[in-house]
Amino acid sequence: MPQPHSEPAGRPAPQEGSPAAPVRILLIEDDDAIRKSVGMALERYGYEVAAAPDGLTGLEMFRDGAYDLLLVDVMLPHLDGIGLSYRVRETSQAHLLMMSARGDALDVVAGLEAGADDYIVKPVDTTVLVARIRTLLRRATFTAHATADAPAPDDGGLLTFRNLSVDTRGLEVRTDGRLLALTPTELRLLLEFVAAPGIVLERQTLLRKVWDYGWEGDSRVVDLTVQRLRKKIGADHIETVRGFGYKFRR
Amino acid sequence: MRRTTPDARPTTADISGDPQAADADADRTPPGEALRRLVDPRSLRWKIAAGVAAAACAMAVGIGVLVHQTTETRSMSIGRGTALRELEVAEFEFRDGRSASRNPSEPPGYAIGDEVPDGLRHRLASEPGPLTWYDTSKPLQGPFMWAASRVDGTDLAVRMDMGAEKRSLQALDRHIRYAAVATLAVVVPLALLAAELVLRRLRRVAGTARRIRNGALDARTASRGHDEISEISSAVDHMADALQERLRGEQRFTADVAHELRTPLAGLVTSASLLPESEATDLVQDRVRVLRALVDDLLEISRLDAGAERADAQPVPLGEVVTECVRRTGVDTRITVVGDPTVETDPRRVDRIVTNLVLNAHRHGGPPVEVTVDATTGAAVTVVVRDHGPGFPADLLDHGPQRFRTGAAERGHGHGLGLTIALGQAHVIGARVTLTNAEPHGAVATLSLPRRHT
Repeated sequence: MPQPHSEPAGRPAPQEGSPAAPVRILLIEDDDAIRKSVGMALERYGYEVAAAPDGLTGLEMFRDGAYDLLLVDVMLPHLDGIGLSYRVRETSQAHLLMMSARGDALDVVAGLEAGADDYIVKPVDTTVLVARIRTLLRRATFTAHATADAPAPDDGGLLTFRNLSVDTRGLEVRTDGRLLALTPTELRLLLEFVAAPGIVLERQTLLRKVWDYGWEGDSRVVDLTVQRLRKKIGADHIETVRGFGYKFRR
Repeated sequence: MRRTTPDARPTTADISGDPQAADADADRTPPGEALRRLVDPRSLRWKIAAGVAAAACAMAVGIGVLVHQTTETRSMSIGRGTALRELEVAEFEFRDGRSASRNPSEPPGYAIGDEVPDGLRHRLASEPGPLTWYDTSKPLQGPFMWAASRVDGTDLAVRMDMGAEKRSLQALDRHIRYAAVATLAVVVPLALLAAELVLRRLRRVAGTARRIRNGALDARTASRGHDEISEISSAVDHMADALQERLRGEQRFTADVAHELRTPLAGLVTSASLLPESEATDLVQDRVRVLRALVDDLLEISRLDAGAERADAQPVPLGEVVTECVRRTGVDTRITVVGDPTVETDPRRVDRIVTNLVLNAHRHGGPPVEVTVDATTGAAVTVVVRDHGPGFPADLLDHGPQRFRTGAAERGHGHGLGLTIALGQAHVIGARVTLTNAEPHGAVATLSLPRRHT
């Protein structure tokens, strides 16, 4: 199951439970107890976990090895989680889950701006953490919106909107023919948009479809991911509908 | 729909704790209130006005009496002098007998013998005169000034009409009264105006104190000047500074404690989940859950206290949110949705409020717990959480929820922060939580959400 915009190694991200290649998680956390216990808990769920106690070590380990998902604490010695996320995003589109102990609004916003796919507030239940990881690892899929004028991809599964073309099968996105590096979450979000162009999608709907959150979810996750997506595909494709959500322009 | 609200007892704790609304009250009183305050006879304004009016009146009376008496004395002495001169003329005429200059057909300009009033004659008997007598015995003809003397054994008197003098004195009194009234008409409004300037500053001090009481800790009078009112104002400001500093300190401490507890707790939570299954593990995990909920609640309260929370409003199908939220609490609750309850609000905060109210009903109330989302009652959409337990304690209804004062200490459930959080979150989204007791028993918590977020 290929993930086209994964890290430079281009390593395929195996599905959970696949015995051949377990999902590799890099856990970067400075508190010994949390690092060890979270690592052990995740290993119980069949993940392969490598752990780093600070940002710089984490970054080195990430560059040396191939990881599918990074679980990063915000407050880290040497290089904090935010800075680390920016560095990781320079070269990689791996899943990035931020752990914030402070639950502070600024942390969360900065983390999501830096390229995190989602955040989770410590202390976290192992089951909740695993559910979040599974949601992130889900494969992006394209399901056309059930309306009469929903766009139908051509034979190659290609959808085109002005300079933007989305390959709904190969999961490749190009602007003016140039291949874009989208994180899996950004890609899932974009697929929701292109499935329903011209239709206002409420933030809550996107939160549910892309992140699998109910009403308790934080809609800032949507806002900040849309911002990042706009930077990549061009700002004029996604329109903000104040108070409601977003609309993809045909 | 079940009858839930109508049978609520009037014992209501309306603890919306809405400092902003209270601010508005303090700053802009409604017209009715302003009018009521204006006509309140106990107001300092009227006391000052009455004092000034009394002082002005006293002054007018004093000056009036003085002027009246001086004028009267003066006109009497003039009248007396004139009368005496006339008497001299009359004496001369009387002695002259039938003077050539006098027309005999005309009556003489004087009175003699019996014509002289008795009082004068008595006095003439003891004192030959000349003497004068101010005669007010015939008010209809006006007062007279008599001058009399005994000439050759005959009582001789002349009288002068003093009517004109009396009238001019009356006119003088009248003018003094007019002047006094005119002065009052100017002085009293001026005094009211001057009082108003003072009162306004006093009211600002009172309003600031009220705002501080209602939670606006950074309200200050910011008054300048060096008079007594400025002194009160700056005393209030300094008191508020000190209070705020202390409160901030305590809030910081709560926040720091919760933060500091979080990291070791995070390790504890995950470590506990790694323990092998056993009865002891269940005990540990249960206590870890309680500890974690407590720390989470403390953090939430410290954020609410700091006033840093901002609502993220969006159109929300309330029925759906409440249903999902109640389902997630995992406790047996009946849900009724009436009407189309779509409101513009922050769904995460509604979720927090409803979760806390429902869990509270289960912990401290009795089953069945019923939740009613009602969009048919006026401008606000209400979420009513009702249980059939013993109801809220009277202390809670009177004073609102107190932190860590739980209604179930003996049962060891909860830590008494849930309602505080519900109220605090309601304030953030501009909603109110009303706590009442139902008849015959049971507690009713009502969350009223405005349809539009402001």
